[in-house]
Amino acid sequence: MTVEAAEAQSFKHEGKFFNVLGLALKNAGLSLLTLTLYRFWARTAMRRRLWSRTSLMGDPLEYTGTAGELLRGFLISLPTFFLPAIFVLYIAPLVFDPATAFWLVAGFYLIGVPLIAAARYLMRRYQLSRTRWRGIRLWLAGTASAFAWASFGWTILQTLSLGWYSPVARMNRAKMMWENTRFGDQPFEFIDDGEPPAKGLWWPFALGWFAFPISYIGAIFLVIAVGAAIAGTGAITAEDLQANPMLSVGIGVAVLASMLLLVLFCWAPYNAAAMNRIASLISIDGARFKLRAKTFSLFFVSLAGWMITIFSLGLLAPMAGFLQVRYVFHRLEIIGHPKFAEIGQAIVPEGNAGESLGDAFDLDMGVGVI
Amino acid sequence: MQARYADGRAAVTHPTTLDVGADTLTFRIGETQHVWSCSDLRRADDGSGRVILKRNPDTGERLYLDETDSARIILGAPGLNAKRAFGIEGPGTIAAITGAAWSLAAVFLLAVPLGAGPIADHVPPRYRAQIADISWSQINAFTEYCDDSDEAARILNDVAYRIMQESDVPMRDDVWITIVDAPFPNAFALPDHSIVVTDDLIALAEHPDELVGVIAHEIAHIEHNHIMKNIIRSVGAGIFFDVVFGGAGAGQMVAIASVNLASLRYSRGDETDADLRGLDYLDAAGIDTAGLARLFDRFAEQERPPTESEEEADGERSGGFPTMLSSHPATAERAAAARARSRAGLNPSMTDAEWQIVRAACGGVVLPQSEPAPPAPPNAPPTNQPPVATPLPAPGTKPD
Repeated sequence: MTVEAAEAQSFKHEGKFFNVLGLALKNAGLSLLTLTLYRFWARTAMRRRLWSRTSLMGDPLEYTGTAGELLRGFLISLPTFFLPAIFVLYIAPLVFDPATAFWLVAGFYLIGVPLIAAARYLMRRYQLSRTRWRGIRLWLAGTASAFAWASFGWTILQTLSLGWYSPVARMNRAKMMWENTRFGDQPFEFIDDGEPPAKGLWWPFALGWFAFPISYIGAIFLVIAVGAAIAGTGAITAEDLQANPMLSVGIGVAVLASMLLLVLFCWAPYNAAAMNRIASLISIDGARFKLRAKTFSLFFVSLAGWMITIFSLGLLAPMAGFLQVRYVFHRLEIIGHPKFAEIGQAIVPEGNAGESLGDAFDLDMGVGVI
Repeated sequence: MQARYADGRAAVTHPTTLDVGADTLTFRIGETQHVWSCSDLRRADDGSGRVILKRNPDTGERLYLDETDSARIILGAPGLNAKRAFGIEGPGTIAAITGAAWSLAAVFLLAVPLGAGPIADHVPPRYRAQIADISWSQINAFTEYCDDSDEAARILNDVAYRIMQESDVPMRDDVWITIVDAPFPNAFALPDHSIVVTDDLIALAEHPDELVGVIAHEIAHIEHNHIMKNIIRSVGAGIFFDVVFGGAGAGQMVAIASVNLASLRYSRGDETDADLRGLDYLDAAGIDTAGLARLFDRFAEQERPPTESEEEADGERSGGFPTMLSSHPATAERAAAARARSRAGLNPSMTDAEWQIVRAACGGVVLPQSEPAPPAPPNAPPTNQPPVATPLPAPGTKPD
């Protein structure tokens, strides 16, 4: 049976905007009250809410992580990450000669690249190990260091190629993540469908790569067109512009905002294509996944998330996470039936610590989902 | 009561019938009878409708109830609707987190400022020089050294040395004044005991005693090691917030703002201390403190909110820098304190010729030889008229 002919089961996400907003507001208030220390409890509550509203075949996902684990991870990161970071960033510039201090800081930032990759891996491992469906736990095999150094190499290639290696790097990272992902004792696969993994990503990527000049020209054109239309009605005259410099500042801000919008829009086709391609290559026990992300819808979801995050000064960033999670699960389906009766429980223990480095780097921006 | 059971060993569910007893749930899967104690039950759902039960500690087993039976079991075991059953923190936990957060902040507010003094006093000279190099690199980024200021700097250094000698300032041999070209009136001390004076401050001063009053204030900062203490407080604050109050957004902003206000209070304490000690220097050196009072008056005038007529006349005039948010004590109070120590009949701190040389530094004001340096204005309350032909300082840019 081909993938197209197999029976498809849709994922569902039943999270309601105002329901999640209520929780986000409560978390924001308590985070302010506790000088942000509540963030571990806030993240846990938000994940529990988002997971429990996501279901497959009528049964919801379950998040079993606790705030205590996240707090413990943070405490572990104090001596292992923050102490060296404090020394390099605060103490070294004061006690070493400028050249030594510079190289220490530069080295720290360089090490930061694989360290952030490792943090992403550990964060994903923690979140998967605290995710259950029908009581069966997901987990992530492999080592964070292997992912970190591989990712570091890909980052170097991305830099040397002025970004053009990015589609391949993105697929490589996805492949490494998904080939190490397990549902119980059943591994996911990142299949070879006979085509290059980055197939279909190059033209959308090119659009994104040229986004800046395109956006610059587009924004100027847009503002001139709107300005001409307004001037045509006589609402603003050249004398007004001379008399009121704030009008010129307003036009500058309009150009900048239009550019940012256009840049975001130019990258949307690539992001949608990459998400769809990655989903199409994931398989578990012969069943395949299909995601139907579209340029416009993804653009508007991203835009809404950014707007909410910016205008709430980051306090409602979890809403951006919610919108993304809901977007993906509304458009995700699994084609075929894994033999669930033969999928056993994970044999690897959950571990006690939380996401330490993830919190240190604030990788999920308080969203709670990575 | 109908339910589905997942055994936690395979990703499938089995239909079953639940028998709800007073303290137990009993159900049968095949030949095996399962008995779950109600006290061990926890919720695996989020309370939005259908109940999913699990056991504590978690065995991976799950019981899925339908909507109707969910309502019935909640009625029979109301504990399953408590926050604890969902693993959600109660008010006690929230109170504990809040208490811990503010206790940490309080410890910081007390410990870092208290520790800053002893730590600052024990910073080895080599590290002090390193820190000074960083300060100089920052100053060099927004100021320019004045090639024509050597003679003026020598005069200021001579006056400063005389002041320090009279008060027996221990580090007087290390203090060195440099004049720089900068677009704001200011003077500040550095960790290596340097004092930087901007040309705009010299231009703002109408009498040598005004400028020397500011220099005395900066010498007091050096004698009391305020600069190093302030650096240690700032570094301590940075580390504390980066580490403890991670995360991002408005929550962190509130945390930082709350402690920054406290830091300003300590900074104001240093400023008051330097003001008083600076007045002592001037007294001991026989320099009239009224000069400093007049300079403060001028700053106070700049801080005063503009009147309606002033706003109409000059839309750019600003003011009203609130004292609570300032790193310095209220300028009017500083002026009053300086005026209270004023003594009549003292000679100016420099001769007319010396003052003209100082004024000419950095291509500054050169008074015609026939026109003597302006006499010290009478020790009168400030007028509302800003000084003529001198650059107006922005609010808050007063001597550090």
